Amino acid sequence: MAGAAAFVEADNADEIMARIETKSQKIESLLKHYKHVEALKTALEGSPPKTLDERCKSANWIVVRRAIMAIKDIDGMLNALDDEYYDILMKCLYRGLSTGDEPTCEQCLMIHEKLTERAGLGCILRCLSDTTNTV
Amino acid sequence: MAVVDVHRFAESITCHAWSPDHSMVALCPNNTEVHIYKSLSLDQWERLHVLQKHDQIVSGIDWSSKSNKIVSVSHDRNSYVWSMEGGEWVPTLVILRLNRAALCVQWSPKENKFAVGSGAKTVCICYYEQENNWWVSKLIRKRHESSVTSVAWHPNNILLATTSTDGKCRVFSTFIKGVDTKDSKAGSPAETKFGEQILQLDLSYSWAFGVKWSPSGNTLAYVGHSSMIYFVDDVGPSPLAQSVAFRDLPLRDVLFISEKMVIGVGYDSNPMVFAADDTGIWSFIRYIGEKKAASSNSSYSSQFSEAFGKFYGSQSKSATASDASESRGRVHDNCINSIVPLSKAGSPKVMRFSTSGLDGKVAIWDLENMEQELGNQF
Repeated sequence: MAGAAAFVEADNADEIMARIETKSQKIESLLKHYKHVEALKTALEGSPPKTLDERCKSANWIVVRRAIMAIKDIDGMLNALDDEYYDILMKCLYRGLSTGDEPTCEQCLMIHEKLTERAGLGCILRCLSDTTNTV
Repeated sequence: MAVVDVHRFAESITCHAWSPDHSMVALCPNNTEVHIYKSLSLDQWERLHVLQKHDQIVSGIDWSSKSNKIVSVSHDRNSYVWSMEGGEWVPTLVILRLNRAALCVQWSPKENKFAVGSGAKTVCICYYEQENNWWVSKLIRKRHESSVTSVAWHPNNILLATTSTDGKCRVFSTFIKGVDTKDSKAGSPAETKFGEQILQLDLSYSWAFGVKWSPSGNTLAYVGHSSMIYFVDDVGPSPLAQSVAFRDLPLRDVLFISEKMVIGVGYDSNPMVFAADDTGIWSFIRYIGEKKAASSNSSYSSQFSEAFGKFYGSQSKSATASDASESRGRVHDNCINSIVPLSKAGSPKVMRFSTSGLDGKVAIWDLENMEQELGNQF
């Protein structure tokens, strides 16, 4: 509620969709080269998209999900990920858990356990209480 | 360990305040009364008075140190100022003109005014009118979009900071003609108009609680419900705001123990120390009872380990360590609601403070021997 008034659409939806397209292509190429952590970082950058448009959020989520599902070594990934990405990753994990789709949920749950160990309960709190910047 | 005395007064304590000589404590045991206990010796407390006037829970108590008056506010939208006359506490009703609960109260540094935050999105500033021999309430009705959870007076007796469940922290001027004197070298003309908003800080996405000023009045600290604590230096036309995210459960209240060090208390039941380094960057230092070792993977409290076990089920390979939390030596078992200083008002350093919480305990902490451990910011 607090930030809603100041939450003007940063760019229009089409620009954001275009950016997500480029992001998606970058990630595909990174995954081909087995650079999983880089792929995830690229996916998380710029999320959540500063817009209220659902299509953009869905498109962004598809990209992030692709990167999350490709992760095999969770500990290694978290070691390489900087602190600032923890909060955004947690939001994406909750989005994944809400889909109800079994492989997604399994992967998200495994990452959730490790991430909570590292980032603490505060990370979960920040994810739950932030209703303005949703993923 | 820094704890000097712990006593369980009731099932749950809403708020508490100390007498001027720190020998008596006034607290609300989660009902409509205010109980006053006197300390006889360590862990020996005698209940001296029970103040019964409110119809609903007493949400805020403050005890002035120079004039020895107790002010209590309650969800029944009323406030009473209690004066000691002939061994008994005599109440004076203060009509706040609220249509919702009063949530918090604080005497101003000069003790000629007190501020009340309420669920009616207003702040009441009450002052004593000598001619009519009663307390008058002036309301700040503008600006707040939701309940005012906490109020704090600047040392100059005019500026008041408030936090609200709309996530914002605001600073107002409470200048009242006839009560306050205009300081010739004071700030902008805005500072001499009652109810004028000097500053609004929109740093939090969720509810804000527990605002306090540093001893000099240069820095503000308040907490957000999203496990964040906010520090604002050089409060004025161009403030420097910092948001510090920390790992554990949110805080409810803060206290400046020196210009550069803040103690936060909240849902983790363990006071946290934050400090600013030489460049002015604030960060979390440690829990007050713990050694400075980096926290290992045993970060869950025992109340969560069972829940996490169910959540992760067969996938969980690492055993969640529930014993580690015991070794932290917690004093409080439940959320700590408030932290009150026990030093002389206006002194730059706070050496003793007390905390009270939902577990019904009041704990007194002494930082006398902790100067080494806390570092040079203290």
